[in-house]
Amino acid sequence: MKMPHLNKRQRLLIQCAPFNEKRIDDRAMRAAVFRVKKTEMFSHQRAFDRAVAGLVQAIPIPNQVTEWLSKGTFVAPRRRTWRQIVFNPVVLAIGIAVGVIAGISVFKLIERLNEFPGEPTAKRLLTLASSTKPLLLDPVKTDAGALGDFFFMKHRLPHYDVPPEFADFKTLGCRVFDDEDGQRIAQVWLVEKKIQLFLFPAERDLKTGASKHFNGWRYVDQDRWTGVVQEKNGVCFMAAVRGSEKDLAPYVGKAKE
Amino acid sequence: MLGDAAKAQEVFDAIMHDAALRAAQGELPKDRLWLFTDARWRCLEVSEAGLQPEPVEMEEHEIAATAPSQIGQLDPYQLAIWISAAPDPQRSALALFYLDEFNQDELLALTELKTHELGKWIGNARQEFQAWLNATVPPEEPAEPL
Repeated sequence: MKMPHLNKRQRLLIQCAPFNEKRIDDRAMRAAVFRVKKTEMFSHQRAFDRAVAGLVQAIPIPNQVTEWLSKGTFVAPRRRTWRQIVFNPVVLAIGIAVGVIAGISVFKLIERLNEFPGEPTAKRLLTLASSTKPLLLDPVKTDAGALGDFFFMKHRLPHYDVPPEFADFKTLGCRVFDDEDGQRIAQVWLVEKKIQLFLFPAERDLKTGASKHFNGWRYVDQDRWTGVVQEKNGVCFMAAVRGSEKDLAPYVGKAKE
Repeated sequence: MLGDAAKAQEVFDAIMHDAALRAAQGELPKDRLWLFTDARWRCLEVSEAGLQPEPVEMEEHEIAATAPSQIGQLDPYQLAIWISAAPDPQRSALALFYLDEFNQDELLALTELKTHELGKWIGNARQEFQAWLNATVPPEEPAEPL
C-alpha cells in the first residue's frame, strides 16, 4: 500500500510509535498509526522493532535481580487524576444530566417561591389591561383613594380600598365587572403613566373558604405588562403598567418579591 | 544502558539499597516511574566515568524487510553494546523504548524529550542500526534461478 500523506507531527509520531498496540493510549498516536498501518514501510518498522524488542527480552537478567523483583512489578499502577475522572465520558454525561436536572429544579423552585395566591387572576387581568380602552370605563375624576367608599356604597364591595401608595393619584375612570369566574373586579384608570388599578377577591381555600394571605408586594408579568400585587382583608390590589418592574418599583418603595 | 552486566548489577543494587532506606523513612517518591528515572541517571553517571565512545558519523540505511532475520542472528549482548554506545539521550530513548514497558507519555517523561525529539532519535537509530546490521550480518542474497 502506498504511504498516505501525513503532516509533520504525524510523521514524528509514527517514528516513535510503540510496536506493542497495548502501549498506544494517545488518540493522536492511534490516529497516525491507523493511517499507515497497512503500508509496507510501517510494517517493516514494526517487524524491525519487534525483532529488536525480542532480542532485548533475551538479554539475560542476573539471578540476583530476578530474586529481588518479579517481572511486572517495576512500574506502580497509574493513579487516576481528578482531570481524568472528571473528563471520563460516563462521569461527564452523568454530570451534565445532574446539572440539567438541578438547573430545572432550581428554576422550578424559584418559580414556586415567586408564586402567590391569586397570581392566575392577576395574569388574566394584565391581559385584560393590555386591551382596555379608556372609553370602556365610566369617567370618574377624583383621587384613587376616594374610590374605596364609592365601590362600597355603589357596588357593595367591602375592603376594595386603594393602598396609600396609589391613593393620591388622579383617576380618569373606573368600572366594576364580573370576570369569567364570576368574581367582582374593580378597574381604575389613573392619569399617572396610564397605570391601571385592579381590585379583586383574594384566592380562597377550597376546604375552609378562608382567604389565602400573603405579605408585601409581589410582582407578576404577562405580555410586556407588569403588575404589583398586595393582599389585604381578603382583597387583592394590583397596579398594572406596560413596562417592567422598574416602572412600578418607585411607587411601592422597597417592595419585595 | 551500560552494556556491562556487572556495572548494571552495581547500579541495580545501589537503587534497591536507596529505595530500602527511603521506604524505611517513609520517603518514597510519589512519581510512579521514579525507579526508572533513578536508574537512568545512575547509568549515565556510571557511563560518564568510564571510557567514552568516539563520536562518529553513523551510516544510515533504509529499514529492510530482511531486518528481523538479520536481528535474529545477533547475540543479545551485541545489541546491548550497540545501544550503550549511542549518545544520550538517544541511548536512554532506545533502552526505554525497546523495554516495552511504557506508553508515549511515560517515555517522554522518562527521557525528558519532546515528541519530535523522541521520534527523531528513535527514527535515526533504526536506520543507523540497519546500516550496522547490513555491515555485521549482511542479508542473504536471494538464490539465483538456475
